[in-house]
Amino acid sequence: MTHIIDKIFANATRLIAIIVLLITAWIFTVLFQESLLSMQTFGLDFVTESKWAPNLEKFGAFAAIMGSVISTFLAMVLAVPIAIGVAIFLSEIAHAKLKAPVGVSIELLAAIPSVIYGMWGLFYFVPIIRDIFGGIGIGMLTAGIVLAIMILPFMAAVTRDAMNTTPDILKESAYALGGTKWDVIKDIVIPYSKAGIIGALILALGRAIGETMAVTFVMGNVHKVSFDLTQPATSIPVTLANEFTEADTKLYFSSLFELALILLVISFTIISIAKFYFLRRTRRA
Amino acid sequence: MSTICSVTEEKALEINKFDFTYASADEPSLKQVTMPIAKNSITALIGPSGCGKSTLLRSINRMHDLYPGNKYEGEIMYNGRNILDEKEDLISLRVNIGMIFQKPTAFPMSIYDNVAYGLRLQGMRNKTELGDRVEKALKDAAIWKEVRDRLKHDANGLSGGQQQRLCIARAIAVEPEILLFDEPTSALDPISTQGIEELVTELKDKVSIVIVTHNMQQAARVSDYTGFMYLGELIELGKTEELFVTPKERLTEEYITGKFG
Ligand SMILES: Nc1ncnc2c1ncn2[C@@H]1O[C@H](COP(=O)(O)OP(=O)(O)O)[C@@H](O)[C@H]1O
Ligand SMILES: [Mg+2]
Repeated sequence: MTHIIDKIFANATRLIAIIVLLITAWIFTVLFQESLLSMQTFGLDFVTESKWAPNLEKFGAFAAIMGSVISTFLAMVLAVPIAIGVAIFLSEIAHAKLKAPVGVSIELLAAIPSVIYGMWGLFYFVPIIRDIFGGIGIGMLTAGIVLAIMILPFMAAVTRDAMNTTPDILKESAYALGGTKWDVIKDIVIPYSKAGIIGALILALGRAIGETMAVTFVMGNVHKVSFDLTQPATSIPVTLANEFTEADTKLYFSSLFELALILLVISFTIISIAKFYFLRRTRRA
Repeated sequence: MSTICSVTEEKALEINKFDFTYASADEPSLKQVTMPIAKNSITALIGPSGCGKSTLLRSINRMHDLYPGNKYEGEIMYNGRNILDEKEDLISLRVNIGMIFQKPTAFPMSIYDNVAYGLRLQGMRNKTELGDRVEKALKDAAIWKEVRDRLKHDANGLSGGQQQRLCIARAIAVEPEILLFDEPTSALDPISTQGIEELVTELKDKVSIVIVTHNMQQAARVSDYTGFMYLGELIELGKTEELFVTPKERLTEEYITGKFG
C-alpha cells in the first residue's frame, strides 16, 4: 500500500517538474514567436539603435537596455557595500539580543511589495532628489536609489545567511591564534562564505534588473541615452509596463515582445550564474 | 571529595577554586576546580561526555568570552597573574596559549598562509623570516615532507590527519607556552591518531600541554598527569601511571574499569 502511495507521489512530483519545464519553454516560445516580426524588420539594429518612435514604426531598444544596465549598476554600487556591512553586523557583531529583531525587520522590509517602494519613491524621494541634484527629480539617479533601497534588505538577508554558514569552530580557531573580531571577519568569514555572498549579490542583481513597479513611477520612460543621471530615462521593464497598452500596430507589439525576450534572457543568465555559485558552495559544505 | 596530587615540577598554570557558568545555565558547569598543571608535561583530562572537560579547557584561553554572558569565578594563575582578571589582554593571552580543536580547522587559504596566519596577525611581514618560521613549524609538526611541494595549494585539499597536523603547525608557529588540545583525534583514523599522539609527546619539550580525551588509552599513552572529571568537578588528579593503576577515588576506579562511561 505504502509502495503504491510512494509511486503515486513520485510520479506526481515528476509530473509537476515536467509541467514547470513546459511552462518555461512555452513562455520562451511565445516571446520568440511574437518577436519574430521585429527581429526580421530590425535585425541587430534593434539592440544598437536608441531611436524609439512608435509614430514612425521605428524601434531601437538600446536606450531601454542601457537604462536597465545603468540603473541596475547604480543600484548595485549603492546597495552592495551597505548590504555587506549590514550582513557583517548581523552575523558577527550584533549582540545576540539584537540579531533576531533586526534580522526579522530586514526580512520584513524585503517582503514589502515593490509597487510600494515605487509610490514612496515618487511622492517622497523625487522631491528630495530634485532639491539636491536639480532636474525634475524623475530619472536614472532616482530609479537607481529606489532600486538600491528595494534590493538592499533581500541582499543583506541572503548575504547574512551565507556568512552564517561559517562554522564557529573555524572562527574560534582564528580567535585562538590571537585574531581580533575584524581579523576573523576579513580572513575567515568573508573568504569562507565568498561563493555564497557572490551568489546572494547576483540573485539581488537579478531582482534589480527585472524590477518593474519600483522604478516605473520614478524613471520617466524617455528613450534617450544620457549620461546626466538626473535626466528621465527608461529601462526594459519600465518600457513594457508603460507601453503595452498603447501598442497599436503589429510591429510595435512585436518590438515590445522582443524587449521582453531580451530581459528574460538576461535574467536567466544572471540566475544561472547565481545558481552555479550556490551549487559550488553547497558542494563544498 | 577529591584527591589532587601535588605537582613537583614548575607549574605552567594553577587553577584555584574555579567555577564556570554558561550564560544560558542556572547551575555552574564547573564547580570548585582546583588543579595544578605542570610545565613541559602533558596533562590529560578524562571523564564522561558532558562532565566539563571542554568547558575547563576553553576557560584557559578565555574562549568563552566570545559568547556573551558566561561567568568565571575563582583563579587561573599564569605567569604570576590571574588571567580571569578583567584587565587581561585576551589577544596576547591566546597567542601564548594555543588551542587545537576536535575537528581539523584549516582556514580557507593556502597551506603556507595557514601556518603564517598567527605570525602575520602579530605583524610579521618579512618574507624570509616568515618563510623560515613556517618551515620550522611544519617540520616540528612532522608534516613538512608531505607539503613542501605544495605550500601554495589550498589547505582544504589535505587529508584529515594532515589538516590536523597543519593546525598544530599553525598553533606552534607563534611559539606558545601552553597548548590546549580538545579531543584532537576524535575525527581521525587510527593511523593519523597515532601520528598525532607521537607528535604531542614530542612537543612537550617546548610547550606545556593539556589534552582532553574521551579515550582512556590515549590518556594513558601520552600523558604525565591525568585529571578525572565528573559532573563539573575534578574528582582526581594524579600521575598518569598511578591514577590508572591505583586510583584513590572510588569514582575514578569505577570510570577507568568501565563501570560507567
Ligand atoms: N554553550 C553552552 N551553553 C550552555 N551549556 C553548555 C554549553 N556548552 C556545554 N554546556 C554544558 O556544560 C556541560 C559540560 O560540557 P562540556 O564541557 O562540553 O563537556 P565535555 O567536553 O566533558 O563533554 C554539559 O552539561 C553541557 O551540556
Ligand atoms: Mg568536549
